[in-house]
Amino acid sequence: MKRLFLLVLIIIIGVSGLSAKDYYIYCTAESEDEVALIRFDGKTAHVEKRIPVGVWPVEIEGPHGITVSPDGDYWYLSMAHGLPYGHLYKYKTGTDEMVDRVELGLFPATMGISNATGLIYIVNFNLHGGHTEPSTVSIVDPEEMIEIDRVETGIMPHGSRLLNNGLKHYSVAMMSGMLYEIDAMTMQITRTISTAPPNKKMNAHSGHNMKKMDHSNMKMGKNKRMSNKDKKGIAAMGKMAMAKMDHKMPPEKPTWVYPHPNDNLIYVVNNGTDNVVEIDVKKWEVVRTFKTDKAPYNCEVSQDGKYLVVTYKGAAKTGVWDLKTGKEVAKLKNSRKVTHGVVISPDSRYAFVSVEGIGKEPGAVEVIDLHNLEKVAIAEIGKQAGGITFWKMTD
Amino acid sequence: MKHTLFILQIFLFSIVFGQKKNTEKLQFEFEVDSIELHVGETKELTIKLLNEDGDLSKNSFYVFGQRRALSVSPRTSDSTGIATVTVKAHKPGRLRLSVQSITVKRDDRVRDKLVVNVPFPPIDHIVFNQTPRKLYTETSTSFSVEVIDEAGLTRENADVKLKSSNTAVADFDIFGNLETKRTGRVTVSATAEGVTEQYNIRVVKNPVRSVTLSAEKDEIRTGDVLVLNATALNRSDRAIDDAPITYSYIGQADYGKFGLPAAGLVTDDGRFIAETAGLYTLIASSGGYSAQKTIKVVPRNVQKKAKLVGHGLISDVLTSDLWVWAGVDKHEGKDFAVTGTWGSNGEAYFWDVTNPDSMIIIDTITVDARTVNDVKISEDGRVGVITREGASNRKNGFVILDVSNPYNVTISAEYNDDMTGGVHNVFIYENHVYAVNNGRKYDIINIDDPKNPFRVGVYEMDTPGHSIHDVWIENGIAYSSNWSDGVVAVDIGGMKFDEADRSQSQFNPLLAKAGQGSPSNPIKLAEMGDPTGRNHAAFPFLSKSTGNFYIVGGDENFPWGVRATRGEPSNPRGGFHFLNFTDPENPKEDAVYQVPEAGSHNMWIFGDVLIAGNYQGGLRIVDISGELLGDIYNQGREIAVYQSSHKEGKIPNAPMVWGAQPYKDYIFFADMNSGLYCIQLEDLEKGPGAP
Repeated sequence: MKRLFLLVLIIIIGVSGLSAKDYYIYCTAESEDEVALIRFDGKTAHVEKRIPVGVWPVEIEGPHGITVSPDGDYWYLSMAHGLPYGHLYKYKTGTDEMVDRVELGLFPATMGISNATGLIYIVNFNLHGGHTEPSTVSIVDPEEMIEIDRVETGIMPHGSRLLNNGLKHYSVAMMSGMLYEIDAMTMQITRTISTAPPNKKMNAHSGHNMKKMDHSNMKMGKNKRMSNKDKKGIAAMGKMAMAKMDHKMPPEKPTWVYPHPNDNLIYVVNNGTDNVVEIDVKKWEVVRTFKTDKAPYNCEVSQDGKYLVVTYKGAAKTGVWDLKTGKEVAKLKNSRKVTHGVVISPDSRYAFVSVEGIGKEPGAVEVIDLHNLEKVAIAEIGKQAGGITFWKMTD
Repeated sequence: MKHTLFILQIFLFSIVFGQKKNTEKLQFEFEVDSIELHVGETKELTIKLLNEDGDLSKNSFYVFGQRRALSVSPRTSDSTGIATVTVKAHKPGRLRLSVQSITVKRDDRVRDKLVVNVPFPPIDHIVFNQTPRKLYTETSTSFSVEVIDEAGLTRENADVKLKSSNTAVADFDIFGNLETKRTGRVTVSATAEGVTEQYNIRVVKNPVRSVTLSAEKDEIRTGDVLVLNATALNRSDRAIDDAPITYSYIGQADYGKFGLPAAGLVTDDGRFIAETAGLYTLIASSGGYSAQKTIKVVPRNVQKKAKLVGHGLISDVLTSDLWVWAGVDKHEGKDFAVTGTWGSNGEAYFWDVTNPDSMIIIDTITVDARTVNDVKISEDGRVGVITREGASNRKNGFVILDVSNPYNVTISAEYNDDMTGGVHNVFIYENHVYAVNNGRKYDIINIDDPKNPFRVGVYEMDTPGHSIHDVWIENGIAYSSNWSDGVVAVDIGGMKFDEADRSQSQFNPLLAKAGQGSPSNPIKLAEMGDPTGRNHAAFPFLSKSTGNFYIVGGDENFPWGVRATRGEPSNPRGGFHFLNFTDPENPKEDAVYQVPEAGSHNMWIFGDVLIAGNYQGGLRIVDISGELLGDIYNQGREIAVYQSSHKEGKIPNAPMVWGAQPYKDYIFFADMNSGLYCIQLEDLEKGPGAP
């Protein structure tokens, strides 16, 4: 009996010891010009630090995308608003001191770092204007913080992730309804595909070659800005004419892309049509479609490949999908409106979800236990919590 | 082709994941230590990644140059660690070609770089900025040149040698001034990188034998411009019009010799202005002869007392802009104000300010936004517009309000089409809203029916990287502030110049150019860039006292960045620049009002008075009458200063004046940290210590 008691005690201590990890998350607050560092100890999410970012106190600069270098030594932050171009900032983890910054394109947003090249691939979202001009993916050397190339993709590119092998980069373009594959080494687009589920695909969009795209007939080409004379003509057309854009925007409005840890599958979130499509990397076709709740926005796959966690921006909920069965196994209501981003701990135990809130309401990071499929903690941070990234786990 | 790509994929995959841990030291070997390329040229170069034994490392790497300056192809080596790349130069300079090994772990990566010198294109020709053919002896003439390269660009850093062919006749000093010594002929040469430009000058005997100097006044105030009339005369007392005259001054300040010395400015064309009171001796010289005139400078004495009439404390949020207007209908006879909020809950507060000593909030409008940066009310007092930034759905824009009953303000319409990036500032003019949005342009929206707004026009600059901050409209001309692009005047329906109209507004030279534009056809009239990139506000100013026309450009500059978000006072800098547009084709900066150790934000000009929001420097009321020249801050032109702050402010005890509006006998202003204020100017009480 005594031995049994000791054995139980050892198991309890062992289990509690195993679970006594600290998880560190960085999360942006877009309307606060802050980045919060959060520590989750398995029970409580603590805001360890609120780091002011930006340089203009009376202009919101909008920290948007954030990622940590693979070795955990630095974090990188996109500051969307500029004059007019935004910047990529580099900070040291721990001390959170700014190291350097580099100017990029219009509204730089989501980014990913290649495990092969070490370069950062960051989309220039460019939400300005009539959503008619293709934008780019900037490629930045994070050591010297210089931009080494820009690859033109579609209209309003968003989401930026690479395969684990670091060789292929994926991003979507909201107003083009396309997924773009860039060779991380050659920095050229290799493939594109419409993000529409198979039964809704339009022939014109399936896998067309960007190199062959002809924008010359578009009302406003890449380098052709509207003159005020042009604008006069447009203005004369009146209200209705201005509302009608020449570009036919696909309804999918994809906002996010995330590769499966096995590098064979990619998940694309179609914000406009309330679904997530699974794309086979080799076949380069949509193989499964998951019908989701309202306005899905971001997603991430757990490292064990078991779960796909999707944020539902319009529903203020987060969905957890079992990738084996293709079923949604949990749908958790978030604490406030406008659910935004998600990151999953490398041990596949917890999902950390950023929730923006509305107006002066603080943003939040909510912690979901993926074992028990329940929300276990919440930390309030600055307004409009957005980009979120995982830094480290410590015992 | 597909097959090849597949093999390449497998190959690269094996490179990245097949490599053993990089414990050995690798190093790059470039074919040469550095290369030199001309713009547009290409060069082939072999790069190797070697192991400690000097053999190829069998580790691939990639190569890259600086974007838009140096391109390279291909970007990757083969699997053995060797790459033969073609490098192309696009811009001159000392550029870098970088290489980095491909490894999974950052610490294992080896980096190196090769210097690529891209020389500036050869100089094509040199242009003298001034080419006098005749100079008088005993004179000094400043010379400068412009150097143009073969690409047609001005070479800013060219080392130009100026030389005289006969130094006994005339010679250059080290600052580029040609000093003439005796009569004769001389050839002046400018040489840079082997290219020479020259021309001939004749030095003749200086006929000047005396100089006369007069001025209209013997006594002026600080800040007044005194025009000096100097003439160089020959032996027969005939004027030598082309003899160069230089002006200078010495002075004895009332304060004393050293503490606050006699300070002023005298221009090359003989205009003098003093900053401190005292006795000044003004000197005109030519050919070794001079004349002088002593004048008295007295204090400007424009100071008044800024008396606080009322304060509406806002302590829980930061306050942004304000507008004050007269009530209509059943509220006729009453006065109202609206203030915005910054970085909060998207609120605009409506105030009854009929009794400014007891201003009270009477209504609040909340919209989906974090910042209501700007608030404006139409001239008829019925329509209000507030801006939205930080909307939860990111569809920002502006909101049109019915403010005819300020006690019950209602939303007439929201407008957010193509304004996702946020509307930062607006202006209402003749039933149109001019909405500065996305930091790039202003859209012009018809609000004849405030419930059914529609776009009729757009104005956007076409300069690379253009950006806009604010717009202000007067007499059908929109004055926008555009950071690096500076101030821009656009005809959006400017009244056509009428020579029979003798009103002073016709002195605005831009009106003479206007008359073709309309809200649906905005036409640029004039502009002046801002090389500092700080232009944040623009306000037209037709001087009542001189008829000169200025666009006053306000800076915004936070050299030490964010503090407000940490609950600490910020420490900005900046000033208000008086850009003389009397000749719209050749605008020039005449004067600047810049408070040392204070920032600058919004302004209003009323008559010949500047009402300046100087952030932590408080509210400043400045006399800008008369000709403007030099450093206005030091000329005793400040009429009054009010340092607003409150112990219960959002940031306590810290002034941060956003902007102001004169209204009736008052000046209302918004302080970011503590809300709405009303002050009134009073004459100073005379007594001991009064200025």
